[in-house]
Amino acid sequence: MRYWVRALCLSLALLIYYNLFGVVWEDRGTVRKNAPAAYILPSEFTRVLAFGQHGLLSDFLFLKTLTFVGGRSQSDEAMAEDDWLFVHKSLGVITDLDPYFVDPYMLAEGLLAWDARRPEEANEILRKGVKYRDWDWRFPFFIGFNSYYFLQDYETAATYIMQASKLPGSPEYLKTLGARLAYYGGKSKTALLFLKQMLAETDEPLLRRRLAMRLEALEGAVQIEEALDRYHEKRGQMPERLGDLVAAGYLLVMPKDPYGGEWVLMKSGRVFSTSKFAESESGH
Amino acid sequence: MKTIYALAVITFKEGIRNRALFGVAFLALFLFGLNITVAGFFMRDIGKVTVDMNLSAISFAGLLLVFFVGVNLMGKDIDRKTIQLVLSKPLSRGQYVWGKYLGILFFVSVSLLLLLAFSTSTVLLVKLLYANYFIGFSFWLFWVAGFFVLLKLWVLSAIMIFFSSLTSNSLLALIFTLSSYVVGVSIEEVVYYLQTELAGQERMISDSLVSFVHVVSYFLPNLAVFDFTVEAAHGLPLSLERLILSFGYGVVYAVILLLLASFVFTRREFN
Repeated sequence: MRYWVRALCLSLALLIYYNLFGVVWEDRGTVRKNAPAAYILPSEFTRVLAFGQHGLLSDFLFLKTLTFVGGRSQSDEAMAEDDWLFVHKSLGVITDLDPYFVDPYMLAEGLLAWDARRPEEANEILRKGVKYRDWDWRFPFFIGFNSYYFLQDYETAATYIMQASKLPGSPEYLKTLGARLAYYGGKSKTALLFLKQMLAETDEPLLRRRLAMRLEALEGAVQIEEALDRYHEKRGQMPERLGDLVAAGYLLVMPKDPYGGEWVLMKSGRVFSTSKFAESESGH
Repeated sequence: MKTIYALAVITFKEGIRNRALFGVAFLALFLFGLNITVAGFFMRDIGKVTVDMNLSAISFAGLLLVFFVGVNLMGKDIDRKTIQLVLSKPLSRGQYVWGKYLGILFFVSVSLLLLLAFSTSTVLLVKLLYANYFIGFSFWLFWVAGFFVLLKLWVLSAIMIFFSSLTSNSLLALIFTLSSYVVGVSIEEVVYYLQTELAGQERMISDSLVSFVHVVSYFLPNLAVFDFTVEAAHGLPLSLERLILSFGYGVVYAVILLLLASFVFTRREFN
């Protein structure tokens, strides 16, 4: 008899546990979703608290950061200012723990520069990569790209691209790109060259999609700019509207802006889009 | 010499008979298995993560061996007073200390070499799975890092022998050794942190604390010296000088502690 009582108690307890298990995990899900970005200790302390396992702790913190960002994007929640601060600080600490670890740098480029539009912060982390992984051309390349693309600082961009071009394994054309940057920083074609290389270097799906979209937009801009150059060469003046290019046969069709904007001819002769090449906020 | 060797062999045999060994081996295997799963979570540096996890697993398992099996090998004799029996044999107390240490050394080394063999096969497996992500990886560097984990355990065993010769309570010896380990792995960071802080303008730390840390850094081993994980993980060049220096530091530190231990042990009274 006592055996049955015990077995009954056990099955009851197991049943309660089973139900509780689901509730607890569900509850943790909501807690985590609503939780503000976790606090991250400054690297001076983290390095001490790692108890000699710097590499392992950097791996763990990296996964944690990745999960945090992934969780936010999965629940379609926009990253708040604090969240980005957390990502920036975490990536800083991770790269302090192991300054040779490539993944956090790539995440800094993809997230901080592209998603958060905080290229200075991305560059700050990437500069650590340049210092430690001094054989790796990708790091100065990324800084150069960010300086050029997001910060419009062509001089810094040219310096870093030149630096990247001297490192082993860097693509040949970086040399020309560096030189070109110094002269024609503002031209869309320069950006096109840059983007093509970025796309070749990236294997992250989200960033790749963004880059591809941007590339398509820029290809359109370059097409129009080239037509404009031909127009200017032949007629000695700029057209009044971009539509004239198609009417006069310099362009077969007006390229589409994948961001959904209208092409505008600036007084400087540059082509711009009303979309400013910014993705609409929904879904990202 | 013969007596030391005989005692070492007995200690070694006692060590490998310990049931806790299965637990440690099981844990290590679990950690290696975990590594195979987790490696895929990362985007590029899978080689680095694999090396990190393997070396940490080896180190962790090795620490468990020293702390839970090793401590008993010497402490139990004193705790259970079987030491009286051993010392009644034609064996000096100094020989006892060295014999015990060598036995623990054999035990830790053999166990760690086994773990390293398992670990190597794990790395090999992950390397086969993600061949493109192991750029710059070399097994030599991995083994060098593994050897220095072993050296770290040798030093820790010496610390444990030293504390066991001081106290008659094996739990106390364990706590002291554990504390030395915790301080040993982080002391370097603290020392350098204090230096940078002092270099800056903020002087929030009292001078006495700084000198205290300085003194402690002389007494306790700097275990960061034996850490070659970063080099192994990223395939960075290693200078021979650093290897020799680290090796020499470990050996000299262990020898000093053993000499002190045999000195204390000779003068000790058992009741």
